[in-house]
Amino acid sequence: MKQNIELSLSDILPGKNEVLFSLGIPVGTEIVDSIQALFDEALDLFHQTVQPSCIVNEISYNEFERIFRGEGKNADDVLLKYIYPKANHLALYALTMGKTISDKIDHLFNTNDFALGTMLDSVASNAADKASNVVQDWYFNELSKTHGLNSNSATLGYSPGYCGWDISGQKKLFQYLEPEQIGIILSSSFLMIPLKSITGLLVAGKKEIHLFKDNYSYCSTCKNRSCIDRMKKLRS
Amino acid sequence: MKILEEISVKLQRGDFNAVFELTANAIESGIPPKEILDDGLLAGMSVIGEKFRIHEIFLSQVLLAAKAMYAGLDQLKPLFLKGEMPSMGKVVIGTVHGDMHDIGKNLVGIMLKGAGFEVIDLGKDVPAEKFVSTAIEQGASIIGMSTLLTTTMPVMKNVVGLLKEKEVDGTIKTIIGGAPVTREFADEIGSTSYGYDAANAVEKVKQLVKEN
Ligand code: B1M
Repeated sequence: MKQNIELSLSDILPGKNEVLFSLGIPVGTEIVDSIQALFDEALDLFHQTVQPSCIVNEISYNEFERIFRGEGKNADDVLLKYIYPKANHLALYALTMGKTISDKIDHLFNTNDFALGTMLDSVASNAADKASNVVQDWYFNELSKTHGLNSNSATLGYSPGYCGWDISGQKKLFQYLEPEQIGIILSSSFLMIPLKSITGLLVAGKKEIHLFKDNYSYCSTCKNRSCIDRMKKLRS
Repeated sequence: MKILEEISVKLQRGDFNAVFELTANAIESGIPPKEILDDGLLAGMSVIGEKFRIHEIFLSQVLLAAKAMYAGLDQLKPLFLKGEMPSMGKVVIGTVHGDMHDIGKNLVGIMLKGAGFEVIDLGKDVPAEKFVSTAIEQGASIIGMSTLLTTTMPVMKNVVGLLKEKEVDGTIKTIIGGAPVTREFADEIGSTSYGYDAANAVEKVKQLVKEN
């Protein structure tokens, strides 16, 4: 059943270390006053402008198979094809930080406030990533209540545009989930507006199904490697 | 401390208000605008650029300095006759058609301006024809294109193709960048150059200008 998930500000609050890291500042660096002030100001602006919303819809294995085929552009060794068939439950989700925060970032750049604009951009990106984690946890908790999912299981999100799932997969995902209901539009080049938005498939199942060796055809060109951290957390 | 040196130092600290006032004072005291630009604003940005290159400071500090630079630059611009603003070269930049991401492109533009280039920023979602026609009309020798999506990378190829078609590929060079863009892709589509980040883009553009 399709439903809106509430994303509370405290749950998606961007972490200082992560935000600064994404701006090239290693964790543990002594932060000069000017950068600290920028971060504080960006956080204030974040509170004033963020409008988080999220939509989730469970999907059957068969229905997802059709969506996953997408426009036929996935990599031959697309990661998800080895994972989702082993799942117990699947759901599609879309979330956004809203239009106002992106407009604010544009405005800051247009008025030469580049440092604050860049900081707010990173803050918003980090919040979107956090929101994605919140949705994964929410699905886990829901399934724990209804289907007795336990600590041997995990719920992780997989997104079009990552790990061989071609970004054109957004088209069929949008047709099924209709994230337009929460204000997300998909362009013909598969860009979501507002920019700070994420879509994906929530895969719930035994922890082992999410573990893999990162030596697929697309791994060598991947700049993210967030999979490594995700798997580390699962193993711990 | 001489006023131009002071402008440079305050700019390096990202002191927007001080740079604004000092530039106004320098203009009032009759210092030629080109001197204020070269020995004050750009001198400061050049120190900042080098410190960033050797990882002594971070991007946020470069951007604070850039804001201060604009506080001075905006006052100087009207003092130069049309077309007389001194520059290292003219670069047309934009995010290609179909893509609305412009932070990366903006950073490249800021760094190029800080290095003394004249930048014509076409914004985001820019069609191939617009890049080429603007470069020809404005007499720019370089087109810089950015994208964050694989789906819009082909537009970069279209620009390179159009330049060939119009037989201006000898005079107008291209540089491309953005998260999914690689050196290999640049070679494959025949782009003259590729920049992996904003600082690197400035180095590459300087090289292209030298080769011209
Ligand atoms: C002219 O010469 C030059 C020279 C150098 C040039 C240049 C021009 N232009 C840029 N440069 C260079 O200099 C700049 C400064 O150093 C740099 O500019 P950039 O614009 O690259 O850098 C920005 C300043 C900062 N960089 C960024 O903001 C992007 C960083 C990464 C990690 C990233 C982030 C943060 C985000 N994302 Co996502 N994201 C990724 C990115 C992966 C990566 N490591 O780069 C990328 C872009 N994302 C991707 C994807 C798939 C997605 N993201 C999405 C969402 C998100 C977040 C919301 C979490 C967040 C914000 C994104 C946003 N739209 O604002 C989704 C799409 C959002 C949308 N609006 O459509 C989604 C589709 C995932 C999903 N299904 O939800 C991938 C795109 C792949 C593709 N096929 O196109 C991606 C490459 C990650 C990956 N798979 O490796 C250089 O590239």
